[in-house]
Amino acid sequence: MKFYVCIKQVPDVDAPIQIKNGDLMQDTDRMVLNAYDASAVEEALVLTEEHGGEVEVVLVGPDKAKETIRKALAMGADKATHITTEDDVDYDSAVYANILATFFKDKEYDVISCGKQSQDTDAGLAGGMIAQHLDLPYATNAVGLSIEDDNLIAKRQGDSGQEIIELPQPCLVTCSNDMNEPRIPSLKGIMQSKRKPMETTALSDMNLDESALSAKTKVTGYMEKPEREPGQKFEGEPDELAQKVANLLDEEENVI
Amino acid sequence: MSTDVLQKATGLNFELSEEQQLIRDSIRDFVERHVKPGVKERDTSKEFPHDLVKKLAEQGFMGMVHPEKYGGGGVGHVSFCLAIEEIARWDASLALTVASHTSLASGHIALAANKSQKEKYLTPLAKGEKLGAWCLTEPGSGSDASGMKTTAIKKDDKYILNGTKIFITQGSVGDTFVVLAKTDPDKGTKGISAFIIEGDWDGVESGKKMEKLGMNSSDTTEVIFEDVEVPEENLLGELGRGFVDTMKVLDGGRIGIGALSVGIARGALEESLKYSGERKQFGSPIGDFQAIETKISNIATEVDAARMLVHRAAWLKDQDKPFTKEVSMAKLFASELAVRAADEAVQIHGGYGYIKEYHVERFMRDAKLMTIGEGTSEVQRMIIGRELKKEFWG
Repeated sequence: MKFYVCIKQVPDVDAPIQIKNGDLMQDTDRMVLNAYDASAVEEALVLTEEHGGEVEVVLVGPDKAKETIRKALAMGADKATHITTEDDVDYDSAVYANILATFFKDKEYDVISCGKQSQDTDAGLAGGMIAQHLDLPYATNAVGLSIEDDNLIAKRQGDSGQEIIELPQPCLVTCSNDMNEPRIPSLKGIMQSKRKPMETTALSDMNLDESALSAKTKVTGYMEKPEREPGQKFEGEPDELAQKVANLLDEEENVI
Repeated sequence: MSTDVLQKATGLNFELSEEQQLIRDSIRDFVERHVKPGVKERDTSKEFPHDLVKKLAEQGFMGMVHPEKYGGGGVGHVSFCLAIEEIARWDASLALTVASHTSLASGHIALAANKSQKEKYLTPLAKGEKLGAWCLTEPGSGSDASGMKTTAIKKDDKYILNGTKIFITQGSVGDTFVVLAKTDPDKGTKGISAFIIEGDWDGVESGKKMEKLGMNSSDTTEVIFEDVEVPEENLLGELGRGFVDTMKVLDGGRIGIGALSVGIARGALEESLKYSGERKQFGSPIGDFQAIETKISNIATEVDAARMLVHRAAWLKDQDKPFTKEVSMAKLFASELAVRAADEAVQIHGGYGYIKEYHVERFMRDAKLMTIGEGTSEVQRMIIGRELKKEFWG
């Protein structure tokens, strides 16, 4: 089976976030593979190890994002396509979906998968949009995948139980990070990743028209979370304190 | 020489290659997931972490620098340093296991063995299927190997080996021993040779586990050899060249000790940064007091300096250039920093630094080995002095 996994390079969520004059300051040295996509890669590897086939990762991003592709290859993906963009683009989910859908138009595959969202924007839109463009059956937020008689079985987690969805292939699924624990690349995997095929396509050569590359939404600014107002402090003897708190809850907050 | 350190750019370049970054990030993820949890418990129980060593072997981290055709990773020593630093950041004992296994016993075999010895012994060591122990030090001799008492006397087509080795890392868990012994006791250091000995041979006995100040889950024992019959083909390197090879092995080993020291110092720094941001006294985080800020800034500066010294030594080795002086400088500076940084970290943590609930008291105990093992600081200064005099006095 042929698995395509869409991956994205995102800022490391462990890095401290700084906002200056409404702009998000990013440390470009701390960019990582989106954790949800890592789960999608892991699951594709597990399924192809079990059923045979190949895993190809696709990434839309600047030159620097190649290191993230290397990581997916080091984990075990067989090949990669890098659709290169300029360094500073403010694409929204719709643009990414246009690019990826165009890429997939003439490709053959059984499953396209991606993370249910990316850690930088948490939008969670691209997967559904790609499926829409390609008219594919799709399921979101899967916590488990399996293959039965040419169908992809996606497990989704609800509050009180699980939902099992059967998707005829080809199909698209977005993956939760609760799905698995992505493998850590071994040294052998890292060394082999150098020798794996990585195709680079410039976005400008894909003949997308301007409207397809124009963001439909725009982030106008970033704001820091307002600091929480400090709570009230009471001092005194226990029975006095209890009385004060009881009064407060009763009279001012109307809780009691 | 490995390809990952060969930079296309000429001149100085401080950037890690993509491969080196990937190696560092992978081992960092591994350490976060498998090594950091349970590190305090391992320090207390003092048990050798066989499960962790097995996992490290599966990831390919037990023989990184050895050739791929002998089961190794085929990467350079800069990558090795990155890995050792990441492990030592949380667990210096485990880093010591990996560093000594890779550089000493395996390192000596990689340096001096013939092809069939490498196939038989290096391959399982580099894959981490077997553990190596390097037996140089004796109760009466360390860096001055000429005082060695262990002998290997030729008898027909065998050598009969007798002697006691001390402070042997992997002494009880090791499978493959590289042992230095006098084959010609009258010739001083020129009468020393090396042998590969299998742990289950008759006459090989591990003594009791040594109770140490730190490095608790690393295995350190005496090893006693009594009338061990060593087949001739297990002579490692040339007869009488054991001392020369030993010096080279020690040079290589000091890269690992340097990287390990940087890891401990970085741990001390990061824990101090974290704690000094959280701990409030007199109405502000203690990290805002200049006295604490100065300590932290000094350590941070020295950690960078130490890492650069260590990476330079590793880089020189990968380029097949002389690095004896440089690696002694790196080991000296980094190890003394590890002790200093851990001491400052305990000081910054105050009373909490002195109790085992926090990591820094362990750093302090572990760090002290760094200025002692694989040549004390005093021996490093002797080596640096000797090399300087060679350069300037001829």
